Amino acid sequence: MRIMVRFKEEMISNPITSEVILEHGVPLNILWAKVESTGGELLLEIPDEKANEIVNSFRLRGVEVLTGRLIDVSEELCVKCGACYSLCPIDAIELRDGDVIFNEDLCIGCGLCVDACPTKAIKLLKVDRTLK
Amino acid sequence: MGEVEKLRDIPTINKKIKEGDIVVLTAEEFIELVENEGKVGKVAREVDVITTGTFGVMCSSGAVVNLGHSDPPIKIERAWINDVPVCHPGAAVDLYIGASKMSEIKPFEYGGGHVIEELVKGNEVELRATAYGTDCYPRTQLLTRLTKYDLNQFILLNFRNAYQKYVCAVNSSDETIYTYMGKLYPRIGNATFSGAGALNPLTRDPTYRSIGIGTRIFLGGGVGYVIGEGTQHNPKAGFGTLMVKGDAKKMKPEYIRGAAITGYGTSMFVGLGIPIPIIDMELARSAAKRDEDLITDIVDYGVPRRERPVLGKVSYAELKSGRIVVGEKTVKVSPLSSLPMARKIAMELKKWIEEGEFYLTEPVERLSTDTEYKPMKMVERVVYVGNIVRRAVKCREDESLEEVAERMIKNAVNHIVIVDDEDYLKGIVTSWDVTKAVAEKRRRLKEVIVRNVVTAYPTDTVEEAARRMKKYDISALPVVNMEKKVLGIVTAEDIAKLWGARMR
Repeated sequence: MRIMVRFKEEMISNPITSEVILEHGVPLNILWAKVESTGGELLLEIPDEKANEIVNSFRLRGVEVLTGRLIDVSEELCVKCGACYSLCPIDAIELRDGDVIFNEDLCIGCGLCVDACPTKAIKLLKVDRTLK
Repeated sequence: MGEVEKLRDIPTINKKIKEGDIVVLTAEEFIELVENEGKVGKVAREVDVITTGTFGVMCSSGAVVNLGHSDPPIKIERAWINDVPVCHPGAAVDLYIGASKMSEIKPFEYGGGHVIEELVKGNEVELRATAYGTDCYPRTQLLTRLTKYDLNQFILLNFRNAYQKYVCAVNSSDETIYTYMGKLYPRIGNATFSGAGALNPLTRDPTYRSIGIGTRIFLGGGVGYVIGEGTQHNPKAGFGTLMVKGDAKKMKPEYIRGAAITGYGTSMFVGLGIPIPIIDMELARSAAKRDEDLITDIVDYGVPRRERPVLGKVSYAELKSGRIVVGEKTVKVSPLSSLPMARKIAMELKKWIEEGEFYLTEPVERLSTDTEYKPMKMVERVVYVGNIVRRAVKCREDESLEEVAERMIKNAVNHIVIVDDEDYLKGIVTSWDVTKAVAEKRRRLKEVIVRNVVTAYPTDTVEEAARRMKKYDISALPVVNMEKKVLGIVTAEDIAKLWGARMR
């Protein structure tokens, strides 16, 4: 599963992610990262079977962990025009015989599609970043 | 050429609709049936009408509203609905809401298309108006709230809809651009296209034999009519367009939707469908044309000029597959018009005809097949970067910071372009970069060079160059050729001088 971990300013210098990797002996795939002097965010792919332990390890170290969907597509607003489809870097948006299908589980929350939606049907959830 | 086999006429079709034994298929169903049969003949003899549909952003759309008279009466001079400026092209209280006009409070988010959508929904909108006051219309200020039920007329009047086909857009430049063809990644990172291909009305009848003035159509979920060729109608190139109208009071909000295209502006999705009577074999054959047979150009929107370079050809079948090949690259291609909605419209229109709620009409006049589409006549000379480019003061990467500084002073310039031995662009250094390097006690030119350089081509307009400087907050652009060889430099100072001289 995917989780978003959010570090506060005072945690930036601690090797928290490495500690968690060593503690559980599992690979964590970093899908996206932003680290600044005032804090940081990592989007991680973690093994499902160890998800609970890994989330707890982060939380014990004071790291905020967000789970669940990163994007919300309003059925009411979406007209299935497909403007978003070609912008998705990881094929989370599919065209199936003309229909536009969002695989919200695959979405890494990069936000590249958001400003291309003519009906503003796509919203990023929980994630706080400036997108360009 | 032999005689074209006649199959049926409009009165026969309408008689069958009335008697409930009409055979209607959507364009997609018709094509599939013809493919299964292997030839068009038998199918054409059985199928009376095919239905089409398209649901895309159509900017040249809008609505005429008549407000009725206030007391005391007003002859509106300027008006806004929900802060969107609306046009008053006629008498006292007739307004035209342009779909692409933007709100003065929330530009790029809310516009005329959204106002029309709200009115169609039955929502209340706020009208503000001002006037100069006359003896017969003394009022000078007006503020009121209205729904479509308060209006005398609310007529959708679109002067260019239903493009026969449209181009496929890509962007070869080095930056993401936001166009009316959507968001286009740099270096041909994606593509976009518009139009429903085989479901598009005019592709089924490309010589406009059954579609003409007076043709009854599906418009915005209600009934509308073709009232003539659309603006920029370009039949010879296969880019025909339609002018249409319909009673917006009876339309459905699902088929009329406001749109906001980032970086471009607001607009409106319009749902439009046209029944095509299979009157003879010639029309049957064009109605059976598949997406594979509909070819359009791949056009480079990275070049901000009227004549954008054509990079190749592509069929609607390839476009609808989601991936196309441009040069050596395979890229994802976004439809911008909704195929699911186009299908829904064709199905809905089919149902109307089958249920005897919609009868076909004979056009009272045919659309032109030879209108010429001309570019704008220009009287002002446009100045290009090539007209004002000046010699660039250049340096090699291995030179010292002192040498760069000296060269700046000697030539009285603020920008040094860094090139290799063959004049290929490697970077740029400004006087600010040098000052900063000195303050930070950096000595090597290599640490100071800005390598991600925004450039201009000699064929760019000066206005475009100025827009790029403003966008990136920089004061000069190296001028390069397609291979990134440095031809010179254009500076903000040069542009300011040019514009200053023009104003005098």
